[in-house]
Amino acid sequence: MKVVAPSLFSPDIQEQVAKIVAQYERKQAAIIPLLNLAQEQFGYVTPEAEKFVAEYLEVPIVQVREVVSFYTLLRPSPPGKCRIAVCTTTGCALRGADKALEYAKKKLGIKPGETTPDGRFTLESVECLGACEFGPVAQVNDTYMGYLSEQTLDRIFQNVGPDREDWCAEAPVVETPTGEPLISRFFHMKESHKLDTYLQHRGFEAVKKTLGKMNPDDVIDTVKKSNLRGLGGAGFSVGMKWSFVPKETSKPKYLVVNADEGEPGTFKDKYILVKAPHLLIEGMILASYAVGIHKAYLYIRKEYQFPYERLKAAVDEAYAKGYLGKNILGTGFDLDIVIHRGAGAYICGEESALLESLEGKKGLPRLRPPFPAIVGLFGCPTVINNVETLSYLPFIFDRGYEWFAGLGSPKNGGMKLYCVSGRVEQPGVYELPMGTSLRDIIFQYAGGIAEGRKLKAVIPGGISANILTAGEIDVKMDFDSLKAAGTMLGSSGVMVLDDSVCMVKALSYATKFFAHESCGQCSPCREGTGWIHKIVTRILQGKGKPADLDNLLDIAAFMGGNTICAFGDAAAMPVTSYIKKFRAEFEYHIQHKKCDIENADANG
Amino acid sequence: MPTLTVNGKEVTVEKGSTVIQAAEKLGFDIPRYCYHPGLSIAGNCRMCLVEIEKFPKLQIACHTQVQDGMVVKTESDVVKKTREHILEFLLVNHPLDCPVCDQAGECWLQNYYMKHGLYDSRLDEDKVKKSKAVSIGPTVMLDSERCILCSRCVRFTDEITKTSELGIFNRGDHSEIGIYPGRELNNKYSGNVVDICPVGALTDKDFRFKCRVWYLKASPSVCTGCSMGCNIEIHYQLERKHIAGGDRVMRFKPRENEEVNKWWICDEGRYGYPFIDKNRIHKPCRRVPDPVSKDGQKDMSPIPWDKALDMAAQKIKEIPKDAWAVLASPQMTNEELYLAKKVFGDTLGLAISLVSPNREGYSDDFLIKADKNPNTRGAFELGYNVLKTQLEEMVRKAEAGKIRGLYVFGQDLYEFLKPETAEKIFGPCELLIFQGTNWNPTAARASLVLPSAVFAEQDGTFTNFQRRVQRIFKALEPMGESKPGWEILAGLSERAGRKLSYKETHEIFDEIAAAVPVFQGLTYTKIGKKGAVLA
Repeated sequence: MKVVAPSLFSPDIQEQVAKIVAQYERKQAAIIPLLNLAQEQFGYVTPEAEKFVAEYLEVPIVQVREVVSFYTLLRPSPPGKCRIAVCTTTGCALRGADKALEYAKKKLGIKPGETTPDGRFTLESVECLGACEFGPVAQVNDTYMGYLSEQTLDRIFQNVGPDREDWCAEAPVVETPTGEPLISRFFHMKESHKLDTYLQHRGFEAVKKTLGKMNPDDVIDTVKKSNLRGLGGAGFSVGMKWSFVPKETSKPKYLVVNADEGEPGTFKDKYILVKAPHLLIEGMILASYAVGIHKAYLYIRKEYQFPYERLKAAVDEAYAKGYLGKNILGTGFDLDIVIHRGAGAYICGEESALLESLEGKKGLPRLRPPFPAIVGLFGCPTVINNVETLSYLPFIFDRGYEWFAGLGSPKNGGMKLYCVSGRVEQPGVYELPMGTSLRDIIFQYAGGIAEGRKLKAVIPGGISANILTAGEIDVKMDFDSLKAAGTMLGSSGVMVLDDSVCMVKALSYATKFFAHESCGQCSPCREGTGWIHKIVTRILQGKGKPADLDNLLDIAAFMGGNTICAFGDAAAMPVTSYIKKFRAEFEYHIQHKKCDIENADANG
Repeated sequence: MPTLTVNGKEVTVEKGSTVIQAAEKLGFDIPRYCYHPGLSIAGNCRMCLVEIEKFPKLQIACHTQVQDGMVVKTESDVVKKTREHILEFLLVNHPLDCPVCDQAGECWLQNYYMKHGLYDSRLDEDKVKKSKAVSIGPTVMLDSERCILCSRCVRFTDEITKTSELGIFNRGDHSEIGIYPGRELNNKYSGNVVDICPVGALTDKDFRFKCRVWYLKASPSVCTGCSMGCNIEIHYQLERKHIAGGDRVMRFKPRENEEVNKWWICDEGRYGYPFIDKNRIHKPCRRVPDPVSKDGQKDMSPIPWDKALDMAAQKIKEIPKDAWAVLASPQMTNEELYLAKKVFGDTLGLAISLVSPNREGYSDDFLIKADKNPNTRGAFELGYNVLKTQLEEMVRKAEAGKIRGLYVFGQDLYEFLKPETAEKIFGPCELLIFQGTNWNPTAARASLVLPSAVFAEQDGTFTNFQRRVQRIFKALEPMGESKPGWEILAGLSERAGRKLSYKETHEIFDEIAAAVPVFQGLTYTKIGKKGAVLA
């Protein structure tokens, strides 16, 4: 390979560069990893780094700049020594993120996006960090700080540096309150991320029972019969998805694991990565065996620093002990895993955008057909599955598909990690049988509404799901039941709103998120998300007009369903459902130029 | 081959065709921004959404492949309503600065708004501010606020020129077309991004603010810049003398020809139009005082055509035939070349040869050919010897004092001869007759100058390097007193005692078709606007 600008990196880093690039079938895929590396070295992506990456990987430099400008965590200019990124999306907003941000602004004397004159602090307002259970949350350099308050913020201001405990690791995870915990059995187990611990708890038994003992077609069939659905949000039959991959092909096939957990209200995969990484690895081996795959890429969002470190250690350990690489456990089956870190873009959780990103481009969703099963990563057949989906596979093969299917509701097999956040007593991850009622999840397991207030509304499946009113929560939390109820299970991010929440404001959290995260490819979504957010903000500021609500519904109606990916639909759903279900509240806002909720701040 | 129904009409198309192509075949024009037949499918503008039975949602016609039995509706209520909304989305952050936008009049936001929009604005928000009037290279200006991010220009530089100067930065409604800081859009085909830009985001530095496009008329033609023969349109205006100092031709635009240039032309060709209006020879002139002075053009005195032709005919007779050199040019049309041979060779009995500089110009494996003449192949097919040795032979003959008369068609010998060599030719020469369009050092040395029409002022044909005969059409009247070359030749022929009866060039072409086997069967009608390959 051509070596350019040797002086850019020190010799040991250069060695790392070569290693990174060698992991990929196409070297262009190393764009984001190398930019991340350069940023680690120099604090930001310097023009020299852009030039180096372009020349070293033989890509147009404009593509490198496109990438730098697209991903929020790649910085084209030097930030302050301590970067404080306060999450202001729904999950955290419901728990006081705005107040925390205001305090930080006041104390630092800067606005989000600015750096203090002494260069010590950069303040940012960011979208969902995937830690709603600790809301409000900030990412302080690489570390998450939860339960933000004036006190915790003061601690950050006084103590620059990443020397705090990572809150994510000490998460208040709630174990399955009913039935037998499957994935969550590892959540409170000591050293559960170590291979030895995993082996003591039937780790790799499924692989031993399957590899070389079951025909791959039967493996796929078993997964079909288990009723395991895609738990990233789409809910498609996993076995069916695998069966679309051509059996005979001259091209390599890939498994891509979607660990880009970004749907606001969702933080389940993070626990698997931190607490049960070997479970995921075993699931990946099973999936790869079924489809005839020998190379897997695991795309993890950049914000997940600690989960990445845990995962990396687990993969290294599995390699070292023969559970990955060539001839796994003497079965003759090979599998390599490459961990690929993102750079800050919600859209990369969309599977085709993820593939683009993995190939070193902006995360723009692809036109379909062709589907990834036929033309996926590097133009080859590709299976893309979510972390949680894969992590249930070992149970299915260790204990049988009938047992697994029997745990859930019809056609919705097994258990589910439900993420509960917002105004409940005990936010957290709850592993419950698929189809548990939403009422039970909120009131029985998550401790009911915080501070004894009244339930007002629930977002059942991440920010993109249609909202349910307090009267609509007697619904089974599975894909089919929620669809019948006019909403979706999505990523099972349950966000609970109580009667102190202003719905206009709640909608503004969502519209801000979508306006910020639209990739900008399709005109309806690119222009619609921004337009909608401006109208909602105007209503919130007391400048609403009578025609606004019908306009919003109309804009949303034509933004949804008319774009390349489902983002347009997702961005439309909150608008439509909040306004339709809480229209009187929106009208009050417009007419009286303030909120009708006592103590709610209509001026944002 | 699948058969489908579009708006109630059945059509059978090639397997793999898209709905937009099938609809086009039936004459249904589905509106589009990002779709361009010469580029990959981006599918981002969403303007071509249509209704297809059995599909739950509207589908983009540019990407959806036809299936047998498909039932497509391109003008249903939901399609029309959606189109109107897509336009509205595209205009949310568009500055609507049409009065000061150079694209006005050929803008697809304007066109489609009139056809598919016509809604009342309900936008009440501030628009996103982006950079305006940014020079992104020697030929193109960028206005990001007007851009609808269709990505055609980006795909052009990625896929056609493979130079990748352009990209789209940021995301959401802050997305913006741009170049890497410090770089330029400066490839050999950069002007094409202006043609394919459906809005006023990319405008042509050469053309912007020169002339409102609704004043322009268009005429089909062929570029004369090299032997590729790219099909072009000549855009001109005649009525407004205050525009561009009274120039007639405002710009060239590529004209689609799948077999030649597809949708593109090179910048060299695109910006090569000024010679049509600049530095033209307006009237026949003779040198006063005679003989040759070095003051060139200044020593020229206009004379009437009759006198000029009489003088030429007289001089041709006076100098012995074997002391004449007649230098035809690969810039001449087939008709002119044929006639030059007929008049000088057959009628006057002089040796006529083709002089081609044959300098190896820049070339690539796309449209730009090293031979910078439009009709070298045509000359060859008409029996001219186009070897470089022709010129060397002539120089030797001149050095030996054996050339006393020289008849030059258009070319400037100084361009491809060293000055001392040219002097060796011109010095001993008693008479230099120059028949051409523009003043050049050779014309300035001539004793007699006969002004001829440029390609845009006459009908005729060129034969490109692929042996494709292509027509040029008269767009403009010959400037001043200039005449089409064939008329001048006919005048000489008449004075030599052989009157020719041609009234139009197609008569000459029909004669070529009858006389030259490879042209057999061809007529102007058959050649049409897209050309025809020689036998």
